[in-house]
Amino acid sequence: MTSARILVVDDEPQIRRVMRTTLVARGYMVSTARNGEEALDKVREERFDLVLLDINMPGIGGMEACRIIRSQSDIPIVILSIRNAEKEKVEALDAGADDYVTKPFSMPELLARIRAALRRAPLLSSGTPDLVKLGPTEINFVARRVTVDGTEVRLTPKEFDLLRYFASNPNVAIPHTKLLQAVWGPDYGEEVEYLRVFINQLRKKIEPDPSHPAYLMTEPWVGYRLNLPKA
Amino acid sequence: MSPLSQPIKAFRILGTLGIIGGITLLYYRIFNVNNVTVALSFLLAVLATSTVWGVIEGLVASVASALCFNFFFIPPIGSFTIADPQNWVALSVFVVTAVIVSQLAARVRMQALESTYRQHEMEQLYTLSRNLLLLEVHGSLAQETTNLIAQVFALPGLAFYDRTSDRIHRAGPRDIPVDAGKLRDAALQGTVFHDSATKTTIIPISLGGQPIGSLGIQGSQVSETALHAIGNLTAITLERAHAQDAATRAEAARQSEEWKSTMLDALAHEFKTPLTPIKAAVTSMLSDGGVTPTHQELLRIVDEETDRLNSMLSEAIRTSRIEAGQLQLHRSPQSLSKICQAELEKLGESIEGRKVILDVPEKLPRVSVDPEFTGIVVWQLLINALKYTPPGSPVTLRASAGETEVIISVEDCGPGISEQEQRKVFEKFYRGKDQRERIPGTGMGLTIAREIVRAHHGRIWVESEPGKGARFSFSLPRAPRES
Repeated sequence: MTSARILVVDDEPQIRRVMRTTLVARGYMVSTARNGEEALDKVREERFDLVLLDINMPGIGGMEACRIIRSQSDIPIVILSIRNAEKEKVEALDAGADDYVTKPFSMPELLARIRAALRRAPLLSSGTPDLVKLGPTEINFVARRVTVDGTEVRLTPKEFDLLRYFASNPNVAIPHTKLLQAVWGPDYGEEVEYLRVFINQLRKKIEPDPSHPAYLMTEPWVGYRLNLPKA
Repeated sequence: MSPLSQPIKAFRILGTLGIIGGITLLYYRIFNVNNVTVALSFLLAVLATSTVWGVIEGLVASVASALCFNFFFIPPIGSFTIADPQNWVALSVFVVTAVIVSQLAARVRMQALESTYRQHEMEQLYTLSRNLLLLEVHGSLAQETTNLIAQVFALPGLAFYDRTSDRIHRAGPRDIPVDAGKLRDAALQGTVFHDSATKTTIIPISLGGQPIGSLGIQGSQVSETALHAIGNLTAITLERAHAQDAATRAEAARQSEEWKSTMLDALAHEFKTPLTPIKAAVTSMLSDGGVTPTHQELLRIVDEETDRLNSMLSEAIRTSRIEAGQLQLHRSPQSLSKICQAELEKLGESIEGRKVILDVPEKLPRVSVDPEFTGIVVWQLLINALKYTPPGSPVTLRASAGETEVIISVEDCGPGISEQEQRKVFEKFYRGKDQRERIPGTGMGLTIAREIVRAHHGRIWVESEPGKGARFSFSLPRAPRES
């Protein structure tokens, strides 16, 4: 897995330099881009396994670049930003990012997050049904396909992993921490806003009325629960 | 009202006599009519002169027509004697009627004149108030107001004493004979001065019971009512200007504060950019292994200092945000014992071997707070207690739950805070009198703590007795029951 290809996007040359040095030493293949436009060109030309994306850049900026990349691909995106306000994190996750790391960061932590973003939950974990029907929504976990009334809906890998975790633990309230650790990795647990954003995105994609969810339920003060109708 | 000049008066009296003479000539020489017609014609002349010219002319007309009526028309004609007693009655009735008519007509005329005059004065007052509202001040507002009053009311001389600046502003072509002392007295005592010799009047000007100056004018062109109205207009104008000044200053202060905050925020972010590769590089080297223990220790120092610099910058950013009034809370149900524990751990080296007693029950009710900001308050109170107490003395962090709120307090055994200072410690930039030189700080810590607690709808306070330590406490409202 360490031969994964990572695109580092940052306008600061010293940050690109240190990232390249460290990541190459860890066995990753690294390519760099100085701004959003260059990043978009590179993503179109080459295949990457992960994008490390700075937010504050001249030109189209990280947030917009993230949105464009996400609209074209499922590639994991980790945002690197100096701002640590929750508003910015939520905005980045809404734009399609998988994770958000605040600068300055410690390298071991970033490496752990890179590993978590690259890791795909095994295709079928024990207890996950092959097929789940939620009203008009049909989720095929084997084919990784979701359809609503027969129309295919695209889910990002993290959204899909989250949905699968719910499906293997239906009708019970799952605490925030447990969800975060199961889907993002053992280093996570405090990032409740991640769940808020991803659950909202999932609701928009699979719920008939996203503002009044019938399947992905909020359990106040605890976490979330998948309401699975009895077959 | 201006008195008429002598020649005009003389001309009018001559004119009156001429009219009576004309009527006499007309009926005596040309038309032969009866005495009733003659008397009515004379009365008409009396009415006309007193209406048009005034009471003196009316009386002159009355007397002249009575004499002419008697001499030329009542037998025996050509003498002032009256033969028939009936004619005595007729003449008496004529005289009384003529006098009453002249008086009535003159009074109506006076009233008409008076109301015209009042109307004019009202118009002037209106013009003044409008001009005062639209006044564009280039120099002294008080001086320009004085000029405007003199101009609108066409006053020969006007003096305005402004108590705020203790200055006298004069306007008009003539310098009015009032001295500063009189103007000041009128303003302070709130009494009206009138000097009939120099024809000057001084009225006090006050607003909301507060004397703000006085106004002196010469001549009787302006009634006292109007004068008071001018005084009020002046008072309102000056007050409005003061209020505007104050608002402008407050706005300027707010903008400068905002600018400072923005600058601080931008600077802090700029500094964080170079910190990023430093932190990344040093942590990378530390995690790689393969360095000697000495190098490892040196790298650890770089790493720790990078963290310190970073947290200082974060603090600066946070301060600037709170300063700029951009405190945004992200509240969620939290365990206060966890927050207290975490802040205690953060203190690290600053404890300097002191004993910090943690008296926080595990089972505190949860509170709906922003964990980060609540942590800052706890940290601030702890760091304050550690800063202001001698090394070796213990500090206690305590929490307890009440019916509606949870109270957290930090107690120390330091020198304590006097009662006067207790009221000021939460104020911006306030620093303890005795500690100012000895202990480093910005004087912002407790202000930030207070702002955060207020944003959570809580309270923050201090209890202390000099020499017996201090206890800083804050309360947070309890979260509604879990559903």
